[in-house]
Amino acid sequence: MVAGQGGCLVFEDSSVLGRMASGFAKAMAVLGGLALIAMVVMVVVSIIGRALIWAGLRPIPGDYELVSVGMGFAIFAFLPWVHLERGHAMVTLLTDSFPKAVNTWILVVTDLMMLLTSAFIAWRLYDGTLDKFRYGETTLLLGFPMGWAYALALVGAIAFVLVAVFVLGRSLTHAVTGRSEPGRMRAEL
Amino acid sequence: MTPLLLGILAFPVVLGLIFLRVPIGLAMLVVGLAGSWMVTGTLNPAIAQFKNITYSTFASYSLSVVPLFLLMGQFATVGGLSAGLFKAASSWLGHRKGGVAMAAVGASAGFGAICGSSLATAATMGQVSLPELKKYGYSDALATGAVAAGGTLGILIPPSIILVIYAVLAEQNIAKLFMAAFIPGILAAIGYMIVIAVYVRVWPEGGGLRPRVPYAERLRNLVEIWPVLAIFLLVIGGIYTGLFTPTEAAAVGAAGTGIIALASGRLTWDKFVAALLATASSTGMIFLIVLGATALNSFLALSHLPQEAAVWVSSQGFNPWIVLSIVLLLYLVMGCVMDSLSMILLTVPIVFPMMSALDFGLTPDEFGIWFGIIILIAVEVGLITPPVGMNLFIINSMSPGTRMSETYRGVLPFVVSDIARTAILVAFPPITLWLVWMLY
Repeated sequence: MVAGQGGCLVFEDSSVLGRMASGFAKAMAVLGGLALIAMVVMVVVSIIGRALIWAGLRPIPGDYELVSVGMGFAIFAFLPWVHLERGHAMVTLLTDSFPKAVNTWILVVTDLMMLLTSAFIAWRLYDGTLDKFRYGETTLLLGFPMGWAYALALVGAIAFVLVAVFVLGRSLTHAVTGRSEPGRMRAEL
Repeated sequence: MTPLLLGILAFPVVLGLIFLRVPIGLAMLVVGLAGSWMVTGTLNPAIAQFKNITYSTFASYSLSVVPLFLLMGQFATVGGLSAGLFKAASSWLGHRKGGVAMAAVGASAGFGAICGSSLATAATMGQVSLPELKKYGYSDALATGAVAAGGTLGILIPPSIILVIYAVLAEQNIAKLFMAAFIPGILAAIGYMIVIAVYVRVWPEGGGLRPRVPYAERLRNLVEIWPVLAIFLLVIGGIYTGLFTPTEAAAVGAAGTGIIALASGRLTWDKFVAALLATASSTGMIFLIVLGATALNSFLALSHLPQEAAVWVSSQGFNPWIVLSIVLLLYLVMGCVMDSLSMILLTVPIVFPMMSALDFGLTPDEFGIWFGIIILIAVEVGLITPPVGMNLFIINSMSPGTRMSETYRGVLPFVVSDIARTAILVAFPPITLWLVWMLY
């Protein structure tokens, strides 16, 4: 795990790989966020169009479908960032009383579970995408190819797997070198 | 093992994994997959199902309300609306005993009307009100306790992210749930203010007074918060009248608070990116749990546990009110260690059919609304109960030099008020349902 002098580690937040992973996850999350903004603008324009039908305007056709496609992309795009930043809801009440070494290894196991799960999700979504292209399925109103909607989601799903590899490497490095991860604020509603 | 037994066993296993710090959504997903595998003897159905299930769970029009309301709350935070609300409330209430703390609660209620999450409300109100509370001599215990409790109004007063999730799970009408949450939300704010009034009379050293503000200035402060009222009326009124779908209302709300944030000049590029990332974090967290719940529920459906549990409960001849009290007590206890959304997603698929099978003298429609509001309140208490109430942590961390034990002590009277309110709403369903009856 140790690369180069001075104990510089590959799977650190400060390492080249760490900064790449963070920049990549952040870029995906921001892209997903921009998709949300685009949905907001689209929906508002559509509502204005609907309200001004008497003036010759009209709502955006298939606005429901566009929202769904946008959601599919955005949610998948958010997952790498949440995982990297340890934003997932978890219960630390019991484990807080465990020795530090036990907790660092628990993190390795849960990160491995997350990696396997993300890989399973991406693998199945990939097959799902191929199916949608194969059968040429489209959305009802717009005729938007479902294959492309799935492919957009697949981008985030694959990013999730890549980031999960880094996160597992990071927790494994910490476990092996006997350090614990810096605490991060968990997200909650 | 019979499928039913597997279904029953799933709960201790999920909880065990959760207590070993497996992310909650992941624990539900893994147990759901493993359970389906054990019931059907093959992983093939799950492999086929997962070609589409993640996409269809995430690309859901009805759940698109969730990220849009989160975005709306983020923009409202950046736009500084919390400061205006607190200034107005404080100028009206501040000269009374405990008035500045009451103002923090009142402003939280106002912010809750444009923000669907508790933590965001607590955090943004903490920023504007904690320094003022200290300036006027409020004790650390009362100041942090009141702001943490006030934060829960963010999710009680519509819009509410958790009610959206409940509506989807229990197939209830979001608009009616939002209307039903309104009076309990106002009661919560009033209850907290009563707690403060009593607190400063029992412990007069707990709070100070601020000078009286002339009415002209009070009115001016009130006029300045018109955007909050406008957005609230547009969003909630739009949903109620059927002018907007909930998703459209959330988009309009996000656009509204976004424009206010832009106009305030505070929405720099960095703040904008931070708002997007915060939305991404909360949304991603929620949807992993939703996906886990979807996998777990399709396994539970295979095991027939929800139907069997409902049949069992109704055939035992239990007193419905005692069953409900036990269920609520369990939520209160679980709320001390688990976050509210996970609890709802984990339990509603089993608990809702079970409770629906009991007779509370309500129509199924009324029961669905009333029960949703009651469990929402029960799980939200968890946000301000030790040891893992998230609102307590965030407010305590914003108040340097305040010991955690002081915050625990300060929030305790508010927890008592929450429990009293839950009991009242349970005993008198019309309080919750009255507005729905009036409007529909």
